[in-house]
Amino acid sequence: MPSSPVTPPAIDVRELRRVYKAKPDDVTALDGIDLRVESGEFFGLLGPNGAGKTTLIKILTTLLLPTSGAARVFGFDVVADTKKIRRIMNMVAGGEQSGYGLLTTREQLWMFSQFYGMPVRDGWRRVDELIEAVGLSEQRGQKVHTLSTGERQKMNFARGLLNDPWVFFLDEPTLGLDVSAARAVRELVVAWKAAVPGRTILLTTHYMAEADELCERLAIVDRGRILAIGSPAELKKRVQRESLFRLELTSLGRGVAALAALPGVVSATLAGDQAEAPDDRQTVIVNLALSDDSALGGVISALGPLGAHIVALQKSEPTLEDVFVELVGRGFTQEAGDAGVFPAPGAASEARTGRDAIAAVHARETAEDGATADEDERAGATVEPAREPVEPVAPRR
Amino acid sequence: MSGVEGSSTPGKVAAGLRGRADFDPARAEGHGLADSRRAFTTSVRLGWQIESNWTDPLLFLIFLVARPVASALILIVMLEVISGGANRDLRAFVITGSALWSFVVAGMAGLAWSVLDDRERYRTLKYLVVSPSTLVVMLLGRGTARVASGAMGAMIAIGVGIVFLGVPFDVTRVDWGLLVPVMVVGLASIVALGLLLAATVLQSRQDSWSYPDAVAGALFLVVGAIFPLTVLPGALQAVGLLVPLTWWLEGVRQALFPGALSSIGGAGSFYAQVTGRLTPSGGEVIIVLLATTAIVTLAAATIYGVSERRARDRGLFDRTTGS
Amino acid sequence: MTSYVYRPSASPSAAADWDRGRVLRTNIRAILGRAYPRVIGSTREKSWIFFEIALPFLTTSAFVFVYRSLQAPPEYIGFVVLGGAMTAFWLNVMWMMAAQLYWEKDQGNLELYFTAPIDLMSVLLGMAVGGLFASLIRAAVVLGVGTAVYGVVFVVDQWLLLLAVFALTLTALYGLGMVLASLFLLWGREAWNLTQLFQEPIYFVSGLNFPVGRLGFLGALAIATIPLAVGLDAMRQLAFPPGSLPFGTPPPDVEALILVVMTAVFLYAARVMIRFLERLARQEGRLIARGR
Repeated sequence: MPSSPVTPPAIDVRELRRVYKAKPDDVTALDGIDLRVESGEFFGLLGPNGAGKTTLIKILTTLLLPTSGAARVFGFDVVADTKKIRRIMNMVAGGEQSGYGLLTTREQLWMFSQFYGMPVRDGWRRVDELIEAVGLSEQRGQKVHTLSTGERQKMNFARGLLNDPWVFFLDEPTLGLDVSAARAVRELVVAWKAAVPGRTILLTTHYMAEADELCERLAIVDRGRILAIGSPAELKKRVQRESLFRLELTSLGRGVAALAALPGVVSATLAGDQAEAPDDRQTVIVNLALSDDSALGGVISALGPLGAHIVALQKSEPTLEDVFVELVGRGFTQEAGDAGVFPAPGAASEARTGRDAIAAVHARETAEDGATADEDERAGATVEPAREPVEPVAPRR
Repeated sequence: MSGVEGSSTPGKVAAGLRGRADFDPARAEGHGLADSRRAFTTSVRLGWQIESNWTDPLLFLIFLVARPVASALILIVMLEVISGGANRDLRAFVITGSALWSFVVAGMAGLAWSVLDDRERYRTLKYLVVSPSTLVVMLLGRGTARVASGAMGAMIAIGVGIVFLGVPFDVTRVDWGLLVPVMVVGLASIVALGLLLAATVLQSRQDSWSYPDAVAGALFLVVGAIFPLTVLPGALQAVGLLVPLTWWLEGVRQALFPGALSSIGGAGSFYAQVTGRLTPSGGEVIIVLLATTAIVTLAAATIYGVSERRARDRGLFDRTTGS
Repeated sequence: MTSYVYRPSASPSAAADWDRGRVLRTNIRAILGRAYPRVIGSTREKSWIFFEIALPFLTTSAFVFVYRSLQAPPEYIGFVVLGGAMTAFWLNVMWMMAAQLYWEKDQGNLELYFTAPIDLMSVLLGMAVGGLFASLIRAAVVLGVGTAVYGVVFVVDQWLLLLAVFALTLTALYGLGMVLASLFLLWGREAWNLTQLFQEPIYFVSGLNFPVGRLGFLGALAIATIPLAVGLDAMRQLAFPPGSLPFGTPPPDVEALILVVMTAVFLYAARVMIRFLERLARQEGRLIARGR
């Protein structure tokens, strides 16, 4: 829902810095961040571990003071208007183990309802409603220490919604959850957002597909800085100057050079794995870079005269990781162990598909731009072309 | 360069993780006593670190001494208020009794607090349970550190009593032949009671930190730590005689302060009525201490076994129960 | 479809605008809300009835027999029983309040309390009220059963003052508990050990089983600084025949005044400490977060 003219931005951050005292050197978690999230937006902060996402959330949720700069939540200053901010926001963090083990789910939530000033009966009623909404009806009388990780996170989610927050901070909410539990949590987020469209969500995650799936806009963060802000589509467009296609043909008599010469074709190359063992294959795979989608028609028309028949055609979409790679010159996984792998089937192949496409673009661009040897090495080291065939991926949005 | 790091780091990790490719059935057999010994010594070391490294040595020393000395002072003032400085024997009696009792409290609490610490605070109890080492061995190791600190506190408190509070002590008169076996068996009985408490808190909630204190405080009534048992009604004296700690205290007193006031015997005591003797001999103390310790140890081991099984049955090892 | 909206408000600014009444009501509810798990916890797991009521009575009995062995005047038995009853509150303050913020941090709850629109004092009070449930039962049992079993005779002329002193003792004691809770959180792991370190020495200087006036300067110091010491002494003076024993301490009405001052000082100090703590936590970013 678009914000009304009088409503200040849900989040307004200017020149925000946060330095942690540490030995031997202080750690700069946020290094002059500027960010504006409008009321009603679903905004994401995407970055590897240690990027500064949680620090930003902690500052916005009044748990941490900034070292310098300003941060406001719906116009309320995080330093001076702490109480007001706490009345209109709530937060849920991944891997949260809070709670009293001897209480039941219902009792635990009711206790928190009292912290938000709900009358006793209203509190119980609201707890019951939310328990049902998050799908914990069967566990309502179960003691908290017996809940599974996924159930516990659903309970945390219900806790976060108790006070009907105007801004909901979700700090890696699916961390440590299995595929179905993570999906359930994402569905809850989406359901809540749909039910109360005027509310704002700030989500931090290092799961790129999660950010891609959920967020209307997002910021890519690394080492305390925002590298780019935009919708997932806009961000991906940054790295996709050409339309990329993967074309599988029965044969290609006159070779890819014939395709490369067609109008609108920027480049046509055999997929990397074929260069190694072309004779063993029944089909030929060609990576096409077109100046525009419309050039595809010309390519397809030209295939007949070239004696080639299409077996499969697949458009390659870049992923947010590709954007990240483009921006910082390294992948998430190089930064932080398990980070960056979205816990959903097929996700890995999605990432590979995009990376494959981006590799070609990136390598060529750096070469064309006269990049330094270091940059070339970095691109080469970071972006590995896929070695195995990949499945076509349906668009997610 | 990132490319180099990228290829070498996983290589190093893989090398570090590499083990025997084939399954080694001997690993499942374990190494029996050697495993237990290793688990015990590691737990002792860990327990001591947890016990002692939270502060500087001076505050740690104060921590060791404050409790036994303050406990003794409470009793000394009680004596002074009523009888002035008249009863020196009784004064020595309560100082040694309360100092030794702080050792008992520490010993009993050690195991129980290890369970609570590891389950509620460090959340490592489940990992201890699933390791090949026996949980009870590790708990005993952790408890040992607290026993050691309790023993240090008790010794210092007795020292304070001797130097500043007029407790008569002559090192040449110490009956080592009695002291050593009594201390060894007594320690076993304290640990057995600690095991009973560990079994209890394995089932109970986080707020049961004070249970060891409560049990030790209740036993205070019947073991003759701070007054001779003759003061108690006959039935309570009889209960006291069934507790190994009563005999341990009597034995330590007889060994350290020969001729001192007996906590068990004396004119009109239940012991004297039953045996016809005024005070028990050193040998008698050792035998009864052994017998009562054996019973308590057997009971503790059985109850602990039941508790551990119940904890597995109900999944209590990895819960947190704060309120 | 689920109604996610709890209390419709026109805008975030309107939702954030609470009047004093709402702030007060929310904090009172927070106190009761935080007390709830304590009370419920007590009913879920009943071993405390044995360990925290029956056994402490036996400990008190041990001190009764010390006086009996000395043929002490009967009032001293009463002193012990009253001291044993009041111990319950001191233990509650130390174990279930002073060290509690540290445990809350360990359990990951503290961050959530900080982000709720309530005063942290309310959370602390809630812990105290919840703990009071068990402590009151324990104190009542020790007092009631001890009086009956050991034949203690109380002679109370000023009931009102006695009740006022009792109430003031609790408020001052829990005010001190709040101060300690903040301090213990600052000291981190040491809190656990400090709880133990303080227990017996405070018993001693508070005159747990004897008139605190017998400690001379130390007793006077305790009366000036420790709520348990001054409250216990005032209650003893009010509960036993006046002039029967040389207390050597200020009269009970003066001690009541001392308790009033203590209450004010400790509550103010607790407020300052909590503010300081909150500021420090937000500055340093580590005090309230569980180490993961």
